[in-house]
Amino acid sequence: MKVTIRGLVLAGLLCGLAFALAACGGSSSSNSGSSGASSSGSSGLKPALDGSGQNLTNGKKGGTLTVYDHEDFSHLDPGQSYFSLDYEVIYATQRPLYQFSPDSSTKEVPDFASGPPTVTDGGKTVTVHVRSGVKFSPPVNRAATSKDVAYAIERGANPNVSNPYFPAYFKYIQGADKATGGPISGISTPDNNTIVFHLTGPYGTFFVGALSLPLTAPVPKEFAAPLDAKKPTAYGASSLAETGPYMVKSDSKGKFIGIGYQPGKSATLVRNPNWDPKTDFRPAYLDQININIGGDPNVIGRQVLTGSHVLQNDTPAGPIVKLAYQKYYNQLVAVPGAGDHYVALNNHTGPFSNVNVRKALWAALDREAMIKADGGQVVAQVATHFIYPTSAGYSQSGGDHGPNVDYNNYPAGNATVAAKYMKLAGYSTGKYTGSATVKVVGSTGDPADKTAAILNHAVQSLGFKTNFTLVDQSVMYTKYCGDPKQEIDACPNVGWIRDWADPQTLLDPTFAGYNIVPTDNSNWGQVGYPDWPKAAGGPYTGGPLTPIDQEMKAAEKTVGDTARAAAWAKVDNMLVSQAVAVPWVFDKQANIEAKDVRGINDLWNIGSWDYDFTSLK
Amino acid sequence: MSVGASELLVEGEATLDAVELAPGEITARSPGQLFWRRFRADRVAMVSAGFIVLLILIAIFAPLIVKLLGLPGPAVQNTNLTDAFGTPLGPSAAHPFGVDPLGEDVLSRVIYGTRVSLEVGIIGTFMATVVGVVLGLIAGFYRGGPDTIISRFADIVLSFPILLLGIGIAAACAVNGCLGGLIQPGVPTILAIIVISGWTYIFRITRGQVLSLREKEFVEAARSLGASNKRIMFKEILPNLVAPIIVYASLLIPTNILFEAALSFLGVGVKPPTASWGQMIADATPTFDTVWWYMLFPGIALLLTVLAFNLVGDGLQDALNPKADR
Repeated sequence: MKVTIRGLVLAGLLCGLAFALAACGGSSSSNSGSSGASSSGSSGLKPALDGSGQNLTNGKKGGTLTVYDHEDFSHLDPGQSYFSLDYEVIYATQRPLYQFSPDSSTKEVPDFASGPPTVTDGGKTVTVHVRSGVKFSPPVNRAATSKDVAYAIERGANPNVSNPYFPAYFKYIQGADKATGGPISGISTPDNNTIVFHLTGPYGTFFVGALSLPLTAPVPKEFAAPLDAKKPTAYGASSLAETGPYMVKSDSKGKFIGIGYQPGKSATLVRNPNWDPKTDFRPAYLDQININIGGDPNVIGRQVLTGSHVLQNDTPAGPIVKLAYQKYYNQLVAVPGAGDHYVALNNHTGPFSNVNVRKALWAALDREAMIKADGGQVVAQVATHFIYPTSAGYSQSGGDHGPNVDYNNYPAGNATVAAKYMKLAGYSTGKYTGSATVKVVGSTGDPADKTAAILNHAVQSLGFKTNFTLVDQSVMYTKYCGDPKQEIDACPNVGWIRDWADPQTLLDPTFAGYNIVPTDNSNWGQVGYPDWPKAAGGPYTGGPLTPIDQEMKAAEKTVGDTARAAAWAKVDNMLVSQAVAVPWVFDKQANIEAKDVRGINDLWNIGSWDYDFTSLK
Repeated sequence: MSVGASELLVEGEATLDAVELAPGEITARSPGQLFWRRFRADRVAMVSAGFIVLLILIAIFAPLIVKLLGLPGPAVQNTNLTDAFGTPLGPSAAHPFGVDPLGEDVLSRVIYGTRVSLEVGIIGTFMATVVGVVLGLIAGFYRGGPDTIISRFADIVLSFPILLLGIGIAAACAVNGCLGGLIQPGVPTILAIIVISGWTYIFRITRGQVLSLREKEFVEAARSLGASNKRIMFKEILPNLVAPIIVYASLLIPTNILFEAALSFLGVGVKPPTASWGQMIADATPTFDTVWWYMLFPGIALLLTVLAFNLVGDGLQDALNPKADR
């Protein structure tokens, strides 16, 4: 998913590959940082707490937690949700087949599933057994079965639900490409405790990662189907059936709108009376969670830091992070692996279609200055390649230092190296001498506007004139950077958050030429599609693949976690060798809590506080 | 000829120059001389005018002044001047107004910001005035069809919410410009918005005056001597409109400066890294309680500039139209 920020904030959207929907947007900024010794080389600040070594057991039972979020939820329907803030409610109220343990971004734990998935037939078949004794909340009150999982996935293709990552990950199921909400031929449920996925190719190792996404949480057809007939579906908008430890407070008919959720104002999670702790690995210490929505992040932040039994679950304002670090050190957790941001460069047209000009810009860019403008090393680490920390393949693709190429070796920028590549590009003075004006489109709002200004400065330092524009983040994505016809040369504020730790979810949607689409394109730099936009008006329809695309196609089919990490690390190195974009930050997400809360961070979900494991002191 | 080409010194003002005059002597003075005598006596307006002259000099010689003060240029980024969290450092000997989050010198940017404010204020007002006066002359002189068309059009323009219109136009022209590149993003777009919205006020005043003046005897006289319409409009009527035009234009300048600041504040005005006071104030908003210098100094500059133009406008009105009630 792309990364969005609102105001000062990185709204951690969990977005998936969205060729389909540019549902998540990346922009900059976020608070991210690297734990500890980052390569940013800025002043030797003691690292903030990073959420490692969390104790998931022995919390105190009971009590009410108050949450302040200045942003509202996007969707409470597990079939539509694609936003980190939503995910904390979804994973507390729903039970997908798998989910990640809070203390790991890679450890998948069976949730509704009763054990690990079985991948057979050379990676073409995936079988999952589900638990008995998991019941839906009132008014459904019956046991959930594998058929409810099948319906949950099938409704993802229903245009009224339109799950944003279905086309990216569930396309691997046979018949999914033609699905519109009815049965999918590649999904079978031989009995109530078994679901089998027949895939179109050997994609099983990768596909099982998608089984931890909210779309796999069981949905009772008899309750949801009438709601799904509306456009858009009313399931999750007015009524819900839950299987998790908590439920959105609702009336006897399952209606929660106006009862447990007032949009823009508040939400209330209470215990699900039909939840049986014996079927679950989650302790669910809290009795109730009251979520207040709205308010100024600067005010909310102070209320949380000085308050009692309270925390904030979206991004704190920059000044609050500084205040927390300086005065409330133990109440701040800055979690690495919360996304990345890079300067997307137009590989297809304009001056950046020349690889040496791209390398020159990479060398010229003061990434350390961008990190500082982004909030400093507590929340940001200088990016050196495209697979970011805590993702599989990070160390294989270069780790903190990144590939050892001269244009990557100077995080503070190096004019000499930049001049060298400008000369290689044919500009004998080391500066651009042509007449092109470089179109730079960044995002408004602090700190995205600052980081964009630093990039603009670097482009000018190469001798270019620039047309530098800042627009609202969603406009930047939809109207400019995500629209190939606009031919924007540089987009400094785009970013991405993986859907799970497999690096395919990072690199494929953003750099594969075959994924370029005419609108809501997330391959912002149009990398690897030499014929674009000759075929404008439609997505990739075949034809010769670039070497990078060939490598991606091979990596996609690779089986086994270790082999996949290596394969995608190789893709990452190719992207760096072609300088297809200039990575500048590995984001860390800051999270704050009151001193009497024992908050547990979901390290797989940009460190957001997990309601199932958090307890009061 | 024009009305009031000369005027007898009125009795009450004779004392002003009593020293220069022989007792009982009656002196004829041109309107310019009269205006200057009255304006000179208005100390507030004189001080404000002096301040505006200073601003104009600062705008013209900005690079020299910045160099003389030993400051870095307005777009020189230096994040070594921010702390580990990116918070900029406050005023110091090297940076008297402190720096912004990119480490750019605030004083240097305030000095360069003068250019944008004056450019937009003066050029924008001049362009809007020219358009307004010409259309006002045409509408008032010809009456009938041209008057109806232009006046209704002005009514329509006046009924637009200008700020929203400005935001819309500025956003639409943001990246690729508008009208096939005729309106480029940044200052040209702002000027275009000012002309589109600002001409109507001058137009209405001009038209009203022309409607009355065209019936005067000197116009009839000119016509009987065979003067063309163009000559009557621009040589006979226009000189009589100079006073009200100057007054209203002088009051339009600060409005336009504020309009630019507002557009830049809203992020659709002047493009960074060009320094603009409105943009600096907007940028400083999230952190104004800690990084106070970043908002205070451009804010003071904007306040003083607008105040000075308003006071001069006031003084001009008094001096050019002494009979008007205050």
